[in-house]
Amino acid sequence: MRKSLILAVCTAALAISACSKNTDGDDGSAQVVNTEYPEQVFWGDTHLHTDNSIDAFGFGNRLDAEAALRFARGEEVTATKGAQAKLSRPLDFLVIADHSDAMGATKAIMEAPRIALLTNKFLLRWHDMMNESDEGSLRVTSELIDGAAKGTLPESLTDPEQTRERTADLWEKHGKTVDQYNEPGKFTAFMGFEYTSMPDGDNLHRVVMFRDSPKKMGDTIPFGALAGQDPEKLWAYMAAYEKTTGGKVLAIPHNSNVSNGRMFAMNKYDGSPIDAAYVKTRALREPIVEVTQIKGDSEAHPFLSPNDEFADFGVAGWDKCNLSCTKDMPPESYAGSYVREALKRGLELTLAVGANPFKFGMIGSTDSHTSLATADENNFFGKHSGNEANNKGRVMAPQNLGTREGRFGWHYLSSGYAAVWATSNTREAIFDAMMRREVYATTGPRMQVRFFGGFDFTASDIADLVKTGYTKGVPMGGDLSGGDGEAPKFLISALMDPESASLDRIQVIKGWVDAAGKSHEKIYNVSWSDADTRKLGANGKLTPVPNTVDLTKGTWDNATGAPELVTFWQDPDFNAAQNAFYYVRVLEIPTPTWPVYDALKFRLTLPAEVIKIQQERAYSSPIWYTPSA
Amino acid sequence: MLRKIIREPLVHFLAGALLIFAFFWATGTGRDPADYAIRIDETDIDRLTTDWERNFRRAPTQAELDGLIDQEIAEEIYYREALRLGLDKNDPVIRRRLFTKMRFIDSEDAENVPPTDAILQQWMDEHPGKYALPPLYDFEQIYLGQIGATQARARIDQLNDGARSAAFAQPISLPSNVKAATIEDVSRQFGDRFAGQLGRLEPGQWVGPVASGFGVHAVKITARQPGRKAVLDDVRQRVTNDWHASRQTAQKEKALARYREQYEITIAGRR
Repeated sequence: MRKSLILAVCTAALAISACSKNTDGDDGSAQVVNTEYPEQVFWGDTHLHTDNSIDAFGFGNRLDAEAALRFARGEEVTATKGAQAKLSRPLDFLVIADHSDAMGATKAIMEAPRIALLTNKFLLRWHDMMNESDEGSLRVTSELIDGAAKGTLPESLTDPEQTRERTADLWEKHGKTVDQYNEPGKFTAFMGFEYTSMPDGDNLHRVVMFRDSPKKMGDTIPFGALAGQDPEKLWAYMAAYEKTTGGKVLAIPHNSNVSNGRMFAMNKYDGSPIDAAYVKTRALREPIVEVTQIKGDSEAHPFLSPNDEFADFGVAGWDKCNLSCTKDMPPESYAGSYVREALKRGLELTLAVGANPFKFGMIGSTDSHTSLATADENNFFGKHSGNEANNKGRVMAPQNLGTREGRFGWHYLSSGYAAVWATSNTREAIFDAMMRREVYATTGPRMQVRFFGGFDFTASDIADLVKTGYTKGVPMGGDLSGGDGEAPKFLISALMDPESASLDRIQVIKGWVDAAGKSHEKIYNVSWSDADTRKLGANGKLTPVPNTVDLTKGTWDNATGAPELVTFWQDPDFNAAQNAFYYVRVLEIPTPTWPVYDALKFRLTLPAEVIKIQQERAYSSPIWYTPSA
Repeated sequence: MLRKIIREPLVHFLAGALLIFAFFWATGTGRDPADYAIRIDETDIDRLTTDWERNFRRAPTQAELDGLIDQEIAEEIYYREALRLGLDKNDPVIRRRLFTKMRFIDSEDAENVPPTDAILQQWMDEHPGKYALPPLYDFEQIYLGQIGATQARARIDQLNDGARSAAFAQPISLPSNVKAATIEDVSRQFGDRFAGQLGRLEPGQWVGPVASGFGVHAVKITARQPGRKAVLDDVRQRVTNDWHASRQTAQKEKALARYREQYEITIAGRR
């Protein structure tokens, strides 16, 4: 009986995910056998910049895609500024996502024969500055970012027709490198790019990632935001791509925290109200969101969630002004900038327009511009090559490029990674898992999180949580409806990362919308360490886990937390008539932040304002409940 | 005889050289007329036109083309005068630019040369450790929780005396029975610390405590397949990538070393 149920689930998974497509993969993935259900979590970074990104190169990065792929696979490479770099554990997959606008342009400007630029004083000046010194290169980069935000870049950089030839050459070469390192079953290298839409410096960036081999992609080239800042233009490009090639592509919004309320706005780019067509397209094209990365964490904000004592993670330095810091962001804008609020807005829009544009899963990624996908606190290579691990001053260095307000080195997070429950380590299986949102985000540690929802679970099902989860319910990212008015039940487990910290607690975060169409949220502590001594208060709050961090050594005591937390939970406040979502947040016990390791290495004294202790975490994709019609 | 000498090409050459020498001697300028010749030919005009078209999306008018040619001439004149004055010396932009150019030229040959099997096999033979197929372990493990070493040892003894694992096993989502796993596979699930100890454990009975990030474990190795040498087809993709990558690096280093050995380099304070 159980076996046939698993089979049924797999058949259903096949139907939606087309994981049987492995048989026609033209990259060797046909030889890889998919497991019956996702048995293994695969770790990756979907957002890495190399020397083909105009800003990364401008900041000094001289490591190419090949170095990035070798590093992600676990090889040691020499970072641009000379330090030896190696991941403590290899990644399973990588999406190199260089900016599509002016892709390869800074490299081209610097390496171009000077005479070819003589007719263009703008580029010539940059060429000379970049060749002159690292400082010159930094100035060029800040001018580029500024110019992109203000729309004053020269046409030869921004006009897609003028850049097409260079981009096509570069993209073809890039495809060869990516294919060379894609090894189905062992390591997956995806084709992708970043669409860097930034109207007035408000961040509407998306990573675009392809399921297909470069061969299948044909003469597709990346779509630049300078050709269309309205994300609907990007979605049209994606639709055209799928139609012409028969391939598949998805987009991943990121850094909504510096979008000035525009990433999850209640209206379209041009200000008109969201309609059914928009909702459908957005939900189809953007199944997942990058919720945590180097430029802060976008899950929640204390202003929006005053009852959430953990909502301030990765917020400092990022909530005052937009990406280019050309505009202040008032707290009233936060509702369109943070992911939990977007999930709630999605429920409101479901009632208002009939479907949910913000029905997305969650991942983390690095957004590193060093070609080095690092997210471990004690092995952090910084945002860009000027701030690599051997830069003694990076913790306190102001990051004022193209801006008028200060952000400092320590505001940057050593975060995060994407965790994917897939049936094999292939382009097809990982991409399809993302489409069905069976993914979660972490701020760097590799804890294993399982989350299943259903109406038929019992408390004893935690004994065989995974199989029961798949046979009697849906995994993270899935949908529940019906249930005869009974409250949904959940099977949840979190296994610590054996190379990181033990676990403080598992929380379920519920959002729902009332009869008046207004959304609400509530946080439930559902499982925690030392349950015999730590009790829930009347307000649902839990005694904090003790802080064991020794700042003079950079250590902590794992005996404080739990190696694993497993629980069965049923919603105690369920109303069958209300649309709702549930997602899981897993907290580690307190550990030191990367500046603490820098301070120990370089014998620095850190000022009081630098955050030195944090609780790293994982965010699962939600499970949605929809009342039966 | 004289006629024969006059027809001799070598004599023409020498006479010509003498003439040029005489010219310099007579004018006293040291001026080489070749240095003062500027020729704008068809290919230059084509290039100027193409560059223009790339920037302005149309062909230049005759007046615009004349302007470009004038500018080209002016630039060439200034360029040569600057060289005569030695302005190319000690200029960081020019220095960096030439460095980049040389690096580019030196790395160019490394591109796109498909290696033969023999070359790849030789590369494998030179790096035997890198491509060996690692040993495979079959083992059972019991998670004992976060307990002390003495207590753990006592439990392991009892397991060897026939106690049932259920008596001590703490619940955790880790497999109790692992088959044909490499150290890297084990590391994924149990962490580096645990995986690093496997190779040293005596097979056939419960041993430990083996520490991991989770706590301590009792481990029984049930089988160990020794590692073996890989054949090229097992690891072809990796070998090819590694060979390419190392060739590129080596080429750069070799080029630099070749230049460098011609230089005598002294650094203040170092001998």
